[in-house]
Amino acid sequence: MTELTEGAPGAGMLTPARRSPLRELVNYRQLVAMLVIRELKVRYKRSIFGLLWTMLNPLLLMVVYTVVFSTIMRAPRRNFAIFLLSGLLPWLFFSIAILQGLHSILVNQELIRKVRVPQAVFPLSVVGSNLVNFALSFVPLLLLMAVVRQPFTTALFFLPVAMLILTVFISGVTLLFATFTVFFRDVRHLAEVALQMLMYLSPVFYDLEMLGQHDTWWFRAFRVFLQVNPLSYLLGLVRDPVYYGRLPPLSGVALASAGALAVLFIGFSVFNRLAPRHIHYL
Amino acid sequence: MRNGEIRVRDAGVCYRLYREKVSTLKEAVVNRFRHLRSAEIFWAVRHVSLEIEPGEAIALVGHNGSGKSTLLKTIAGVLMPDEGEVFVQGRISPMIELGAGFDPELSGRDNIFLNGALLGFSRKQMEGKFDRIVAFSELGDFIDMPIKNYSSGMYARLGFAIAQDVEPDILIVDEVLAVGDERFQEKCKARIRDFRSAGITFCFVSHNYEAARELCPRAAVLHHGRLAFDGPIGQAWERYRELERGPAPGPQIEAS
Repeated sequence: MTELTEGAPGAGMLTPARRSPLRELVNYRQLVAMLVIRELKVRYKRSIFGLLWTMLNPLLLMVVYTVVFSTIMRAPRRNFAIFLLSGLLPWLFFSIAILQGLHSILVNQELIRKVRVPQAVFPLSVVGSNLVNFALSFVPLLLLMAVVRQPFTTALFFLPVAMLILTVFISGVTLLFATFTVFFRDVRHLAEVALQMLMYLSPVFYDLEMLGQHDTWWFRAFRVFLQVNPLSYLLGLVRDPVYYGRLPPLSGVALASAGALAVLFIGFSVFNRLAPRHIHYL
Repeated sequence: MRNGEIRVRDAGVCYRLYREKVSTLKEAVVNRFRHLRSAEIFWAVRHVSLEIEPGEAIALVGHNGSGKSTLLKTIAGVLMPDEGEVFVQGRISPMIELGAGFDPELSGRDNIFLNGALLGFSRKQMEGKFDRIVAFSELGDFIDMPIKNYSSGMYARLGFAIAQDVEPDILIVDEVLAVGDERFQEKCKARIRDFRSAGITFCFVSHNYEAARELCPRAAVLHHGRLAFDGPIGQAWERYRELERGPAPGPQIEAS
């Protein structure tokens, strides 16, 4: 019953502006968990396989890729399906979380108008439910790895760390998109196109080692972009242990962690600064 | 400050109004960026000061659009004052609208836990309240049905049943007693009287004099966002009637 006295919403501190947003969010962690469960429950309601779809979906994707690249097309690499999926699964986590999360304030506007609640719980719960999907998609991935005899190495134990870093980064970006969408509904359409482009400009279907050398200015520009693109490092966190069976380089991990934390800090600060004004634009 | 205390000091809340009418191409283009320029500002509440002591019961009275709901939302923390200060101490049960935050796809059971979490209660705490809430709502086996299948009365019952069990220091009730059948309304009123005798601060919005007098000795009258009267409910109602009869110009908009 400690929450009733000290950390209870509306208790302790005075005007909403004086509450620390971080502490408030911590008090509402149970709400985030509940919203994640609600999202999953509602998404898979009336479907026979229910939550199994989170695993079936990537599994079917994998079957398609495996068949396409082992029989129809000549794959540029051994076990190309594993290579693709190790980039595609974190990419899908990233892009779907953003595209769903940017609606989250608008979708919950009825509630925001009537109940005082730290609004960050809505985009964050979208990230949470997509994290569950992402984590579950490793079950079929590992299964497929066993089937195609992709070696399992101890580097796989790095995956939880990779998930954590990805989640931190994606949370920051999603918070930013969620608040901007309230003020400019154009963001949604922009994001769709931008993500589509970014998918090809990030090492999802290829990686840096596969690129080779071309001596044209646009190719050099492309390489520079890949070097500054945070997704190059973030996607590597999953691909290195899964496909190459090695730990990602320490410098890359450090860079990705620091970047992810910075993005989360910026996203959370901007979001909380703009959140009180959301209600006027809903 | 003590738990249950509310202090509103010179509070103002404004809304920005954007005209939708477009008559020229230039306006159409400029309007695309209307978020960026300052719009016309409408003060829904301005220069309102109120002190409500713990355990006091106050009715907020005023015609439609007088700023009652805006003031109530500011007290509940849904809106932030653009001017002045609002201090509130203690847990608020925001019954601004019963069942706000219900998810129609989920069952009554799941919604009890979801609503509890929205009010800041853990699952464990809500488990302790669960049986009482179901009993109060009198929903019986319906509790496991998705609430989109509920009637509006059942919806309100569940909403009130949750709101009455969250051990608030401050209870905010906005016209919710108009829903539900007469017997349930009586039950709700009795529950509110219990709260009152337990020393819980109570803010009530109503257009019904009988209901308000029954529960609140004090009333504040709002008129075009200003506090027109604050005092005993009998006099307050006379003032309210007087203002209602008077000319009622549309909302006053100040250009910024």
